[in-house]
Amino acid sequence: MWQKRQFELLRDEIAVALASLAEVADLQSLVRQPLSQPRRGLAALSADGRPWPLLPLIVCEAICGSYRHALPAAAAIQLFMAAGDVFDDIEDADSSESLSARYGPAVATNVATTLLSLAEKSITRLKDRGVADSVIVRVTDAVNSFFMSACAGQHLDLSLSSDIAISEDDYLRVVGMKSASQVECACHIGALLANERQELVDIFAKFGHNLGMAAQITNDIRGVTRGSDILEHKNTLPVIYALTQAEGESRKQLELAFRKPSESVADPTQIRDLLFRIGAIHYTTIKTEFYKQLALDNLSEIERHGTSVERLKSFLE
Amino acid sequence: MKSQALQEMIKKVFSDEKTKLQFMSNPESVIAQFKLTEQEKTAVLNTHARLGLATADSQQLEAIIEPLSNWL
Repeated sequence: MWQKRQFELLRDEIAVALASLAEVADLQSLVRQPLSQPRRGLAALSADGRPWPLLPLIVCEAICGSYRHALPAAAAIQLFMAAGDVFDDIEDADSSESLSARYGPAVATNVATTLLSLAEKSITRLKDRGVADSVIVRVTDAVNSFFMSACAGQHLDLSLSSDIAISEDDYLRVVGMKSASQVECACHIGALLANERQELVDIFAKFGHNLGMAAQITNDIRGVTRGSDILEHKNTLPVIYALTQAEGESRKQLELAFRKPSESVADPTQIRDLLFRIGAIHYTTIKTEFYKQLALDNLSEIERHGTSVERLKSFLE
Repeated sequence: MKSQALQEMIKKVFSDEKTKLQFMSNPESVIAQFKLTEQEKTAVLNTHARLGLATADSQQLEAIIEPLSNWL
């Protein structure tokens, strides 16, 4: 099975990166932990069968028929994302399972910084795979630009998190920078390593952006239906929509539930039912479907360039 | 980008029982009253076909949204 083989090769590539930490086995072990989380490169294939960590390899293979030369870049993206997960946990301080909670913010910060350094080193290993220096420079620049965008998005998110009156446009901008940029990066880098045609690289980047927007907005819906975002007073798209529509008692209930800082804990079932009644969950589901539609349009455009998109379509099904 | 027309349509469907019934029997006739983009129209119709837009409950939503939420 092609996925199994690509996952094995990706894990081997990550293992090469981690080998440089062999002298400090304790740090190596800590660095492995975020990489072994369900959605990251050292984890087993996810139950839903969607191979997210392989996205750059799938894009690369779709264009040029091979992917092995892109493995160091795919590993780098996993290392960058794992670093982001650890930093997120330090900033949010909302998980008792995080490295930060178990070992303290100092150790966690060092683990995240180590992951960033390993990611940069991974990119330089593209040279060992025969990738031209000029392409490596472009990959380095692109990866750093996307993750800088993710940091800027995170800053905006932190700055706006106490503002209950955030607009949908502002929210979508933050999601695009903070979350979708990572999927965009995976697709952009995969395409960059497969060909020199900027036009095709750009279309793949747009596909990644739209896929990333759909994935994050899906997370928003899940956060509400499961109640976790209600308990944490997270002001996500369903809530933003609801606040533009709700009046009277319903609006008061929402303001009380999502105002920060807040000592009150809203009843998740009650708030979730309210969001359903107003149509906020349905509106958000349509927004997910909207971005999936844009991503499908991107794939049609990619197909017109003679590139097979079958494996990429599976991310949208 | 925010869509005013989409927001207005959902508001109407969820606040006006007559529109909700009309949407359930003939969604395109309600969609035609709002200036939605082609992608928005497709998104509304796809969501309605999979869920029954105005009637879906949280369990139905959970079933369709889970697969996309694994990476971010």
